[in-house]
Amino acid sequence: MPTVTIDGRPLEVEAGTNLIDAAQRIGVQIPHYCYHPRLSVVGQCRMCLVEVEGTPKLQAGCSTQVTKDGMVVRTDTSEVREAQKGMMEFFLINHPLDCPICDQAGECGLQDYAFKHGQAYSRFEYEDKRIYPGRERIPLGPNVLLNMNRCIQCTRCIRFTEEIAGTGELGFFNRGARTEIGTFPGKPLDNPLATNVVDICPVGALTSTRFRFAERVWYLDKRPSLCTGCDVGCNVTVEHRRGRIRRYKPRFNPEVNDYWMCDYGRGTFERYETLPRLAAPRLRAAAPEGNGGGPAPGVSAPASWGKALDAVAERLRAGGKAAVLGSGNLTTEEAFLFAELARAAGVASLPLVATEGPARTIPNLHGGITGRERHPNRRGAELAGFGGGEGPSADDLMFGDAAAGLDVLVVADSDLGPAAHDEEAVARLRRAGFLVVFGWADTPLARAADVALPVATHAEKDGTFVNVERRLQRFEQAFPPPGQVRPAVEVLAELLAKLDGESWAGVGTAAAFARLAEARPELAGLDFDELPPTGAPLPGFDDHDETMEKRAPASPAGRDGEDQGV
Amino acid sequence: MSEPTGRQGTGGPPGGAAAPPPAVGGGYGEPWPAAPPGEPVLDQAARTRVDELLRRYPTKRAALIPVLHVAQRRCGGWLPDYAIEEVAGALELPPAEVYGVVTFYDLFHQKPVGRHRIRVCTNLSCQLRGSDEVMEALAAELGVDEGEVTPDGRCSFTHFECLGSCDTAPMMMVDDTYHESLTPERAVEIVRGLG
Amino acid sequence: MAYEKVLTRNVGRPAARTVAGYKKAGGYAGLAAALKMQPEEVVEEVKKSGLRGRGGAGFPAGMKWGFIPKDHDGPKYLVCNADESEPGTFKDRLLMEHEPQQLIEGCVICCYAVGAATCYVYIRGEYTAANAIMEEAIRDAYDAGVLGDSVMGSGFSLDMYMHVGAGAYICGEETGMLESLEGKRGQPRVKPPFPALVGAFGAPTVINNVETLANVPHIVERGADWFKAIGTDERNTGPKLYAISGHVERPGTYEYPIGVPFRTLLDGCGGMWRGRQLKAYIPGGASAAILPGEEHLDLPMDFDAIAKAGSMLGSAAVMVMDETTCMVRSVARLAKFFNHESCGQCTPCREGTNWMELLLTRIEQGQGREQDASLLSNICTHVAGNSLCALGDAAVGPVKSLVETYSGEIEAHVREGGCPFPPIRVFGNGNGGPQDSVHGAAGEAAG
Repeated sequence: MPTVTIDGRPLEVEAGTNLIDAAQRIGVQIPHYCYHPRLSVVGQCRMCLVEVEGTPKLQAGCSTQVTKDGMVVRTDTSEVREAQKGMMEFFLINHPLDCPICDQAGECGLQDYAFKHGQAYSRFEYEDKRIYPGRERIPLGPNVLLNMNRCIQCTRCIRFTEEIAGTGELGFFNRGARTEIGTFPGKPLDNPLATNVVDICPVGALTSTRFRFAERVWYLDKRPSLCTGCDVGCNVTVEHRRGRIRRYKPRFNPEVNDYWMCDYGRGTFERYETLPRLAAPRLRAAAPEGNGGGPAPGVSAPASWGKALDAVAERLRAGGKAAVLGSGNLTTEEAFLFAELARAAGVASLPLVATEGPARTIPNLHGGITGRERHPNRRGAELAGFGGGEGPSADDLMFGDAAAGLDVLVVADSDLGPAAHDEEAVARLRRAGFLVVFGWADTPLARAADVALPVATHAEKDGTFVNVERRLQRFEQAFPPPGQVRPAVEVLAELLAKLDGESWAGVGTAAAFARLAEARPELAGLDFDELPPTGAPLPGFDDHDETMEKRAPASPAGRDGEDQGV
Repeated sequence: MSEPTGRQGTGGPPGGAAAPPPAVGGGYGEPWPAAPPGEPVLDQAARTRVDELLRRYPTKRAALIPVLHVAQRRCGGWLPDYAIEEVAGALELPPAEVYGVVTFYDLFHQKPVGRHRIRVCTNLSCQLRGSDEVMEALAAELGVDEGEVTPDGRCSFTHFECLGSCDTAPMMMVDDTYHESLTPERAVEIVRGLG
Repeated sequence: MAYEKVLTRNVGRPAARTVAGYKKAGGYAGLAAALKMQPEEVVEEVKKSGLRGRGGAGFPAGMKWGFIPKDHDGPKYLVCNADESEPGTFKDRLLMEHEPQQLIEGCVICCYAVGAATCYVYIRGEYTAANAIMEEAIRDAYDAGVLGDSVMGSGFSLDMYMHVGAGAYICGEETGMLESLEGKRGQPRVKPPFPALVGAFGAPTVINNVETLANVPHIVERGADWFKAIGTDERNTGPKLYAISGHVERPGTYEYPIGVPFRTLLDGCGGMWRGRQLKAYIPGGASAAILPGEEHLDLPMDFDAIAKAGSMLGSAAVMVMDETTCMVRSVARLAKFFNHESCGQCTPCREGTNWMELLLTRIEQGQGREQDASLLSNICTHVAGNSLCALGDAAVGPVKSLVETYSGEIEAHVREGGCPFPPIRVFGNGNGGPQDSVHGAAGEAAG
């Protein structure tokens, strides 16, 4: 591997690594716009010019590769700084002063580099800025809006639609100072990965229709999480403010979703606001309480956690025929605790709702990953004990008469599928003697329950999912659940403590995972707090999805190639 | 010393229009009958030419610019969106990409042009020898600004960059023909003679 | 000893456009000689001759041919650069319209030397007449067996095609041309890799200007030593076509040994137009620095002498300006050209050429400010050397020379709030006197 010296520091890199990637290894950030580790190198923005000893002109870092020993690079000379100032001035002379109304403010490449590498004044005083009349808010497609005045012609978006999405809706039109991006009339930017161009656009030229004017980014707190739209398990960042998710952005994981996520997944958090929230435990009184006061028989009313859980524990202890109906929305740890609850209550039946959904493919260097299920964790739920075995199937319960034969039916997920919102299916499930429903959503199913237990959304708890490849990935709690809502793991631990003894008291997600790992050889050696950052492949791991072509990165930077640029 | 090595052009009368190009059927510079509305732009004859062009290159894409020239001539000197789409389909290219090529080059037009396209060189050598006056005279004669089409659809005129005829400045190109060594009067005369 | 023309012997003789006519005038002797040599020997001869590219860059042609890999598994190409869009240049058009077989011969020899089996002549779309003549000449060449299977019975086969452009100066840049040839926007590529290794369709490619290739048959026929004897020294050899235009009596293409003094060139085309005073001239196209006339009257017009004088020979497009010429106006027009022709890919050229045109237009129109000259100069330093291709550097050329040599004129514009020179009025009132145009029948004085 050749050695290159950058700012006096020697570094060994794979032959073919470009200077931007190489410098990043030692924490030197060469500024750049048009370069992206997954797109072809075009060397257009000229922001990454650095000094390479032995060449008279500054060289573009993105298109200069380390091929043999002896290259000496300096990124901090006065000539380099002068070039950066010059480039920044050029970028800004025709750029509108839109910061006060532009979504990108706070995460804008021009702002960042103008501050770091630019000069504090403009000399473009007496000329008129170039504008593209009529191109200030053009929908390029259903999810992406263009303001051509803000564009810096880096062509990342065009290269993305050509090279990654493969759809080629975007083109570069005209020439010179009139160059603009656009779509061919009648062929809008409408592919499942379209909104990624908004992420990679360094400026506010491309904005997301979903997020436009929604929030100022400096108010957003950010936590690493996973998308729940399908079983690909794209890594995301949950961006939230005051307990409300405002945006999902893809989080870099070269083994799963690389830099990308699909438009459908980006919108999945909205469900948490679209459906009514189950805010407090509810109990349906069996008989009048006290002297005529209190809830009428059969009416569901708010109750305390203590009363609600006691009611559940009592019925489970009473025995009889029972089932716990789960779904792939459960985390692995929740599924495990539900299974333990079933075991403690002598319940052998753990049916799992089927979750086929439309195929969604996310590109990565290995050929992409295709998910075909609506729920993120069917495999994790199965690993924890759901599915298979005896007793009625989920379909029997939702679409047949099986619930009528049950004394107790525990539904682990109030939003387990269309059936939760379907009058007839809910009526069928209601035929069980005693219906307990856990969930975050106050669906018709939850409203039909004898006991409804409000639990956290995935943003409000920790947990793991196992994706289509059988990769175990962990997500983190972004913000605590509101009001009386609690993480399901906590609730289940309390229930288990009531049924199975004090050893369950205070068991949280990590401990639940540890107990599951003891019981399952597939999880042997894994520690919830020390999982590999890109996820842990489990036995049966299969990443040979070849829906898309295998690709080479722009330079052999491997995992370290996370784009630190704008 | 050395004698002047001749005026530009194909040996036609000095100072006047260059002789029309020799007929080489189907070649670049040949007029193509305009495609009637609703008919494919690349008709039988055009497709024969397209096939001939495709044989010259290892990729389909490489024939794009020559094919666009044919398509443009079939559409009266400009390229409507449907023509661009048809060419894109014929060469298996994304329409946005073909649109990008069309808009890059000065000889391709995406808006209607006059039956005759007049391009007056105004680069330095022609400017030094009076191209401004030629432009003024044409504007006055045609009654439109540059870039516009006359109301009867006959002519559109524009300034152009160096056409490689600086020794016969000022000069202009009308359709495929160079008209050299102009005076404003001569330019007007030529334009008046266009049908 | 009178200079015997090499490149323009057949100008004005349409018969020489056919193979038969050209052969009768001595043509295709070069090709015949080349086919008897080894390809490497041909490359060596061209190297020895010192032939430098005639398109503008002046890069040694033989050296360029030498970069083509010898053992290469796959096609190789020659692309002849007939895009000729440099302002003031019209010599390649002359060569194609009057000496098409000479160009074909040069291309065949080059392809033989480097092992290319396909040659594209990329001709600008505006040259309809030249293209038609070339197509006809190529057809004739196929019929006569100097193109196609087994050229002249040698076993070496070559296909040659005309490829028409569509109006973009940047397609005269090597890699811009390759992109355009491949059917894309003519946006220059990042180099390396260089076309000699990765060129047209990913294959090793030679790109040479029309005039460069026109020299090749003569070098092979008469030898590198003969070629070297023409010109100034071993770095500036061979015949050269000078395209002279602007304020001269008889603008046209003139062939001289390279390094002819400017005075000779000026006298040879009839001297200054209308007997006016020489103010300045641009020796080599729009990107060459403007040279004040008096100081550089005896400048040898070769690559090195002009470079030493602070400008460039480039394409030898000589534009002569008399004392009525406003330098600001002229440079503003060139800045407008570069802005129009910038492909738009890279920031310094896209924004810089745009800014320079706006600035210079503002100055010319009388709204210049005191700091504009230094601002222009500073913009030039930010563009030069930082752009993706040479157009950025080219655009800087005239602007820099304006600021360095004619700052007084900028100051005059600022001071007077307008252009101190009269508007250009060649035909009508204003410049006084009847016009004595050399343009033959079209030359009646206006009004």
